[in-house]
Parts: sequence; C-alpha cells; structure tokens
Amino acid sequence: MAPTPVTLTTRPPGGIAPAGRAPLPAGPASARPELLPLEDGEQYRFGFDMGACIGCHSCEVACAEQNGLPEGTVWRRVGEIEGGRFPDARRWHLSMSCNQCLDPACLEGCPTNAYEKLSSGIVAHHADDCIGCQYCTWNCPYSVPVFQPDRRIVTKCDLCKPRLDVGRSPACVDACPTHAITVEKVVVADWRADPSAGDAPGLPSAAITMSTTRIALPDGLREASASASDWSLRPEHPHWPLIWLTLLSQVALGASAVAGTTTVRVVAAALAVAALAGAPAHLGRPVAAWKAMRNLRRSWLSREVLLLSAYTALAVGAVVVPALTIPAVGAGLAGVYASARLYVVPGRPSWDTPLTVVRFFATAFATGPLLAGHVAPALVAAGIGSAATAANWWRLSRSTDQAWWGSVRLELGWFRPWTVLRLALLAAALVAAVAGASPAVVLGVLLVAEAIGRWLFFVTVVPLNMPGSFWRGTAGSHR
Amino acid sequence: MTAPRPVAAPVAVAAPVRRSAPPTPGWWARAVGGVRRVLGVDHLGDRYTYVDDGRGPVSASRAVDTWVTTTCGYCSVGCGMRVGVREGRAVAVEGDPDHPVNRGRLCPKGLSEHHTLAAPGRLTTPVVHGTATGWDEALDAVVDGFRDLVDRHGPESVAVISTGQLVTEEFYALGKLVRLGMGLSHYDGNTTLCMASAVSGYKLSFGSDGPPGSYEDFDHADVVVLWGANIADNHPLLAPRLLDPRRKPTIVVVDPRVTKTAMLADVHLPVRPRGDIALLNGVLAELVRHELVDVAELRQRIDGLDALVDHLEGWSLERAAAESGIEADAIAALARLVVGADRCVLAWTMGVNHSVQGTHTVTLLNTLALLTGHIGKPGSAPMSITGQCNAMGTRETGFTASMPGYRAYDSAADRRELADLWGIDQDRLPTERGRAYPDILNAVLNGTVKGLWVIGTNPVVSFPNRGTLEAALERLDLLVVQDGFENPTTALADIVLPAAIWGEKEGTFTNSERRVSRVRAAVDPPGLARPDFDIFLDVARRWGGTDDLFAGWVGPEDAFEEWRGISAGRFCDYSGISYDRIDAAGGVQWPCPADRPDVPLGGTPRLYTEGAYRHPGGRARVLAVEPEAIRDAPNAAYPLLLNTGRTVEHWHTRTKTGRIPILEGLAPEAWVEVNPADAAGLGVRSGDLVRMSSTRGSVEGIRVRVTEIVRAGEVFVPFHWDQWCANRLTDDQFDPISREPNYKQCAVRIDR
Repeated sequence: MAPTPVTLTTRPPGGIAPAGRAPLPAGPASARPELLPLEDGEQYRFGFDMGACIGCHSCEVACAEQNGLPEGTVWRRVGEIEGGRFPDARRWHLSMSCNQCLDPACLEGCPTNAYEKLSSGIVAHHADDCIGCQYCTWNCPYSVPVFQPDRRIVTKCDLCKPRLDVGRSPACVDACPTHAITVEKVVVADWRADPSAGDAPGLPSAAITMSTTRIALPDGLREASASASDWSLRPEHPHWPLIWLTLLSQVALGASAVAGTTTVRVVAAALAVAALAGAPAHLGRPVAAWKAMRNLRRSWLSREVLLLSAYTALAVGAVVVPALTIPAVGAGLAGVYASARLYVVPGRPSWDTPLTVVRFFATAFATGPLLAGHVAPALVAAGIGSAATAANWWRLSRSTDQAWWGSVRLELGWFRPWTVLRLALLAAALVAAVAGASPAVVLGVLLVAEAIGRWLFFVTVVPLNMPGSFWRGTAGSHR
Repeated sequence: MTAPRPVAAPVAVAAPVRRSAPPTPGWWARAVGGVRRVLGVDHLGDRYTYVDDGRGPVSASRAVDTWVTTTCGYCSVGCGMRVGVREGRAVAVEGDPDHPVNRGRLCPKGLSEHHTLAAPGRLTTPVVHGTATGWDEALDAVVDGFRDLVDRHGPESVAVISTGQLVTEEFYALGKLVRLGMGLSHYDGNTTLCMASAVSGYKLSFGSDGPPGSYEDFDHADVVVLWGANIADNHPLLAPRLLDPRRKPTIVVVDPRVTKTAMLADVHLPVRPRGDIALLNGVLAELVRHELVDVAELRQRIDGLDALVDHLEGWSLERAAAESGIEADAIAALARLVVGADRCVLAWTMGVNHSVQGTHTVTLLNTLALLTGHIGKPGSAPMSITGQCNAMGTRETGFTASMPGYRAYDSAADRRELADLWGIDQDRLPTERGRAYPDILNAVLNGTVKGLWVIGTNPVVSFPNRGTLEAALERLDLLVVQDGFENPTTALADIVLPAAIWGEKEGTFTNSERRVSRVRAAVDPPGLARPDFDIFLDVARRWGGTDDLFAGWVGPEDAFEEWRGISAGRFCDYSGISYDRIDAAGGVQWPCPADRPDVPLGGTPRLYTEGAYRHPGGRARVLAVEPEAIRDAPNAAYPLLLNTGRTVEHWHTRTKTGRIPILEGLAPEAWVEVNPADAAGLGVRSGDLVRMSSTRGSVEGIRVRVTEIVRAGEVFVPFHWDQWCANRLTDDQFDPISREPNYKQCAVRIDR
C-alpha cells in the first residue's frame, strides 16, 4: 500500500494557470516553495508524473547548470518509451536521476564506503573517498552513478542536498515547466512493504534496490511499449586492467593448485604479483587505491582486494617456504571466488548468475595446470567453462528484455568473428592435446581463447538501465 | 494583466574583460600535471563546489555577481529571464519568476542560453574577400560596392534580407536605412519563411495584421485547438498553460503526425497533409448546414458570407472526410465542440503557415473564429504563435510587408502622414513593398539583383530547394553577410560583418501576444563585433544623405522613442510604452496609446473586443477557399511524402544551439521518422543510415527512426541541420499571397 505523496514544492500561487477563469491574480508569483520537515521514519524522494511530462529536457539542462557538470556527464536523463499504432501511437517520457534507494546497490558494493545513506534518505557520495573504481556504476540497476572523466571519480545526483539544506527544491524540480517532477516525503516502512508505485515500463523493478522514486503512469500506457534506445545496442568498455587482473590471478591460482616444482611456484607467484600490480590501472585515482579494503563487511570488491593480496603474499612466500602453498591455494580459491562474486550483480544480467563463478574457476583450471604439464584436467575445465558459457547464452536468450538477450546478440552477432575464433581455439587445443602436442602449445592456445573469452565477458555485458532516448542509450558510465 | 513590480535597477555591466587565454604552462608543469592527473591526486573538489550567490547553493562555476533582466532570444513566446554575469562573462540564466509569460520557467534552449555568449565560432572581425579588416575598410567596401551597383543598375539591383531576431529598434533603423536612406527597392526578412501567411491571413480577414489574443486566453479557454502547432517541441512554455489539472481545457490537435503535442491532446485529428482546407471547409459547412451559427446576424459585421455559404454547399461531410482523411463524425464533432465552447482558442503555427495555401488556410481559421464568436473576449482568439523572438517587431516597425505602423504603401493618407511625421518629402517613400524573399532570389537568378545584404539569417540551410538557393548566391556580384556566428551562408560571403548577438545589445522584442519586453546587454561583444544598430547607423553615415533620418540618434532608445511617436494612433500603438513602463510591468502589450490612461499597466490583452475590425466600416471578411493538390505529390519514383519540422533541443539552423554541448548531446544528428510498414518495405531498421532524395537533391547518411508517430507513406525530418539539410529536398513553391514556402509536402525516396 503506497503512501499518499506529500508534495514538498507548492505550485506558484496563481501559477502558470490560475484556478477558475479569473484573470491571473495580482502579486508576485515567485513565492518560495515550502519545505516540509521529515517525521520519524520518513525520507525525501522524487516524484514523477509521466502524464505531465512534455519531454522538453529542461530538467536535464537545469541539473547540468546547477552542478556545473561537464559535457557528457549527465545526472538526470529523460528516456522515451513508445507504443501503439498510428494514429494512436504514444511516446512517454521518463525523467529520472538518482532514486535514493532504501537498499542502494551503489552503497553496498562500494569498496571505500564513499556512499552514505543519510537520515534524510539521500544517498550521498563523498568525492574524497571515491577512488574511481566504478563498481557502483555496475551495481546500480538504473546506471545512475557516472564516471566523470575530468575528476576521475564517480559522481551522481544527491537530490540537490545543498539546496534542500537551505529549504529549496532540487534544480530539476524548479525547472520543470509542467511540474512533472516533485520532491516528496515517503514513509519508509510503507514503501518497503510495497514499492510498486516506483515501477514503470522499461524500468528495472523498484524492488531490486527499493528505488523510492514514485512514478505516476498516464492512462493508456502500454506495457508493450519499447524504449527508444533499443536500436542502439553497443558494446561496453573492455576494462583492460580487469581482464589482466582476473585472467592472470586465475592462471596463477590454477598453477599454485598443482604446484609441484619451484619453477611452477615461481611462475604462479610472478603471475599473482603481475595481476595485482596491474589492477590499480583500472582506478580513476590509483593514488588512493589503499582505500579499497574499507568495506569488507559488504563489498565483494573489498574482499577480492584483501584475498588476492593475501594469496599473492602467500604465493610469493611459497617460493621460499613450499609449505605455504596450501594456505596460498586456500586464499587464492577464496580470492577468485570473491573476484567472481563481485560480477554477480543484478545491474548486469549477463553476469548475474552462478555460472560466472563457474566460468572464472574454469579459466583457472583450464590454464594453470598446464604449467605443470597436466593436460587432462585442463581440457575438462575448458569444457566446463565452455558449457557454462553456452548455458549462459541459453539463460539470457530466453528473456524478452534487451539487457538479457542483448548480451547474446552482441556475442554472437556484433562479435561473431571473435566468438567463432574462441571456439575454434578451444577445439584446436583439444585436437592438439589428443594429437600429443606439448602442454606448452596447448596452454598457449587455451590462453588466447580464455583471453578472448574474458574480453567478450566485459564488452558484451548490457547494463540494466532506465529507458534511453533515441540518441542516448546508456549512461556512458565508463571511460 | 500583469502585476506591478519594482523597476529593475540600472544594470552595472562590468568593464570589458576579454576572454584572454591563460599563460601556457611550461613542460615541467605539464608533466607534473599529467602525472598528478593519471594518479588521481586531485579530484577537482575545489572546482566542483557549491557557493550561495543569493539564489541558494549553486555550482561555483555558475556563481553570479550581477543579474541582468532580459527576454529570451529564441522563439517568440518571449520568456522573461535574467542573465547572470561574473567578471564580465555570462555564467548563468534563470527564468524571471515574476514574468507574466513564463513565471520563472524556461525551456532547455533558454536554460542554456548564456552559453551562446561564450560559444566558439563567433565572427570577431570584419572580413573582406577573405581578408580580416577593420570596420572602416569593411563598411567602405560595403557602401562602395552597393553604391556602385545602384549607380550602374539602379536601386533594383541591390536587395536586403534580414531576420526576425534583431531588436525592434534595429528593425526600425534598418527599414529607414534601406528604403529611405539607401533608396533600395527590395527589402524582406526571413519572417517570410515563418509567419508571412499569418500576416496575410490576418490582413485578409480583419483588415490588419496583429494576433488578436493573449497567452492568458489559453488559461481561460474551455477548448484549445492547436492546428499544425507542435508547441511541446517548439513553444514549450505555452504547454504548461494547457496542462494544469485544475483547469485543463479540452485540447484538440490537428496534425498529420503524432507530435509530442498531439500526445497531450484529448482529441488528435491526424489530418492528411494539405487536408486542412477540406477539414476547415467541412467544419464550416457543418456549422452553416445545421444553423449552428446565425449567418444573418453575422452579416452585420462580416463581408463575404454569402459567397462562403454558397461555396460550402459543395462541402458535404463526406467530401470533407474523403479529402481531409478525418472521419465525418469527427468533423461534425469538432464543429460542435468549437461552436459549443464558451471560450475557444484556435492557435496555429507552421503546419498552417508553411504551405502554398498558408494565407487562405489562415483566413479559414479566422473565419471559424468569426462565425463561432471566438474572438475579442477572454479565452477566445484565432492566435498565430510566431516563430522568432522578434518577428512581431519587424512586422510592426519594418519596411517589408507594410510601412512602419502597418501603413500601406499604396495609401496616400498613410504616406502623407508618415512623411509629415518624419519631416521628409513624400516622394522619398516607396510606393510598393518591393520583392518578397523568394522573389528577391528569383531576381538574383535572372540577373536583376546583383548585390545582396543578408542580416542575421542563414538561407543556405533555411531556404527551400538549397541547390537553387546556392546557385543564386553564387551569381551575386556582391554578397554581404552580417551575423554573429560563422555559418554556411557567411562562408559564401564576399564581405562578412561581425555582429553582436542577444545578450550583447539593448532594445526590445515583441512576442506572439504583442507583448513588448526589454532585451539587455549582459556582456560585451567579442573582438570587433558591434551591435547591428551601430552597424546600420555607420552604414547610413557612410552612405550619406541620411542625416535627417537618424538625427540625434545615439542608442536604441532614441529609435524606440521615435517609433513610439510614429506608431501613435495606429493599430499597433506603442506610444504609451516606455522602457520604464516595460520594466514596471514586465512587458507591455500593444496597443498602448499614451493618451489612454485606462489601458492597464501591462497594455491591452486582446484586440477586437468591441467587434470592430479593420476593413472599411469596421468590418471583417471571410473567403471561400478550395484546396489545391500537392504539386510534388508522391509517385512511383518518389513514393514517400516528406514533412519537415523542429525539435525542442535546437533552434533554426543551429548557428547557436549546435554550439552548445548539452543541446548537441540531446540531439546530435538529424533523423528521418519512418513508419514500420514503410521500413519493412525498404528493409531498414532504426539506426540505419540512408540516403533521401527528391527530384531536387539528396541528403546522405541520415539516420532512420522507425516509429508509429508518422503515417505509412509519410516521413518526417527536422530541418535544423546543415549536414542533413532537409531543404536539399523541399520544393521551392510559394504561397502566391504571402510568398511563404511550402516546406511541408514534397515527394522523396529512401535508399539504403
């Protein structure tokens, strides 16, 4: 049962359109909006009346001006959903910025605790604590946080907290010519019991993160409506340092697990060190990388950093003290598990599956053992990895949502030559192994196949998002 | 009716601070900066902080020292706004919360308008034949060049095409300069591409130009009919007046396309392109046939009714339905809705005006208002919503369709009065209007016009059938282009004159509801750029023999004061409007005679309140109109009908909005809307790049948007872009009365 929204801003007295048919009343129309204080158990949030929005984009411009945002950094966006047949076709506009969720996924995942859920309900982001890892941009089902290239950190809407603090409405609210955007109070417990008034066609379910924005849908809105951005399916950023980190740390773990010789232990340690050394290149602010272990309680990213660091230290130690190999493998298994788990987020449907964990471990055991000459287990692992990949395609292709099937279309369409090459390399590795080729040859072929696979893993993910406009599909959340 | 409010304080514009580049850092500083950047040492927290400049916390980059009250320079809604200035730069805008038009709100173009003042691509120095010069050399070259042509070929050989975006004071000065000072025969504006049909239609119906209503009529109306008017995209700040749930009128939208505005409507009538006249005839016939209007009573003040009634006998509902594409029941219902409404606004824009029959379509809308009594009272008006910020100013003060103050070229009395007011010889006044915009270009093509002065407009992108237009411009002996920004037309010019733009000069704009508002300089123009007003006076001085025309003029207010006197007693009477009164009222609507203290502070909200029109005897006229077939109709080779229009993010030919990143980001390319049925036949999908062609030209690489908002067989392209120029395709056919182009119907094909 959704609460009755309490509008925080009043329409201007006399307003754009006066009540009754009298002439506009005398007196200034610029009376200040009234800020209603929060009672216990309430928070502020946005309200949006889709039937009142005329798609003018004034809110976006007002937001950029209020916050001095540089070109390309967009905190508030207006999406378009379209349905019906001519002449009954309709295009609805959805203006959205941060939904100030009750369970903010950005905050959950942030390794540095840069996010804070304030008592007012605002999901605040503290720039000083942000290291630009962009993990929040993966976690948010609405692609709200964005990486701002000139600052090399993530930034986002904070409901114009500085303005709310002095009793003013957010800039978008004040700018909307038709008063389609409001700032409201909501009783948190009521909303948690039923957030369905936060749902809209084409928008990820409010229940995922308890998005608080109330969306009033117009009469006649068709569920079959399509986002105007559906045509613009595009690959995501490859995140090269992450390909490096995950691939090398997994190969290292696979080697450690079968490490019978000093040589193999040295190689495993070297790979682990290299993996870790390359990782900060992913950060917008490598200088602050040390902050990444602040959120061990909630963030798989913090845990990944801790566990892979521990693994690396133990793997290096195992070169001198072979007995450390066993704890090293334990830490490595945990590290790769954490590494995989951090990709299992609702905001990225093609990753949001246990198959991701299977695929990461499969990579580890399809490569590392070959360093010690173990061909058979490597082939089994490569087979498991391939099966997991295929299973994921099957899982994703059953959905009607572009964030699911779009990944498959990218992998089998846009990137078909690479997908074919990867499968061909897997087959070649199998043939080579059966034909008795040296483990080094098989390893080389499989490494290339796994590298292509990991690259495809990153570039073919389709983030959950709000509906885009014709010209702007995704938030541009990566650099 | 406007609220009294304090007179705006005089604006203290800071001393000129030119945009000089900071000193270039040395290699070491750059290297250190680069390393710091890559490591992320500094996240620019200082730059992205908030300060309170008196309007609450705002980005420090937008902090304002001084606010300058002005009026938006884009469309003719005429929103009041304030430009925020810090250290000589415009850093912010905000809607004027007390302005009667927009009550503090702005559209995205208005909200980013300060960026036009620091946008790249400004013209900062005069250029003569490719060489940057000073003003003396440039204006001497202009004057010598034009005078040489006039001496050798007569005053017919030089023409001027201006705009709807100068301030009224500049239009008044330019008209006097061109027609009286330089004695040139041909002067017109790009307003002919925009609202000339509204002017001609008003004149035919009521005996005078002048939109009869006010925006507040939208507030009062029970029924609002938007005819070929996509206000949600093109006049966004009018839309809120229709959407307040407390008093929402019944909204009817007549448009062949399901525009954003059609989506707001209670009733959308997807009329067939050029089906307007059939639809209007059907509605009028229904009113007469069922005696829903009292023709006998209307005869007392309206001429032409008998011929109209006779004509309408040929317009059965069935015929109207067949020719308009609107079902007979819907036509009958529309007739009853309009006549049954207490208050009804009939508003239109380019869907009506941009037609070879634009003038006559306007008269039919006026006729509908006259027959149903929806004129001259609150909530009722046949209302043309104008396109450019000051198209109205040039209609009233310019020397184009009429002489200043709506005076007729062929009226001896008007000529005598005007000559007496100016204290000049009557023979100096022209006796006819001279060629309209398309006819000037025809005269260029046939060699009659050899010199052209283009001011504040970009015909290469905006004129129909670009190929012919470019051929015309290339034929000229001398092309002078005066503008604020580099654009495809300045690229063809022999002489380029850099002008100040909105935000850099003083004056007034008059909006669609006849409201005169102040426009103020917030910053100085860049480089050598000067206000058009100064350029005109400088040309006048160099031309010579113009002292009596501009005696004692120093700034725009001198022109305004003279214009007040010239307009006194005319329909468009500005005599009671002073700069001070504009400030006090937040805009004043003409007529506002000085000798009428009963006129409210904010002027006169509507015309024809006494039922007296402007044809002789105080009468109005109605005309019988037959629709014409589309000249360039779809055929086997060019099977699709092209409709053109606008989008909210851009303005005209993007000389300004194309330079504002946030607007470009919202709409970075043109597109063509294609119905799914046609898309399937063509084998194209959304996002594909296609070639569009007509018999006149083609557009390469335009992106397809497959959508049900256009009918099968019809496609739509926004006209703002140079690269994807819709006017390479459009038909250069013109309304015989208004000379407005027929931008909205021509045959095209799409190839993959």
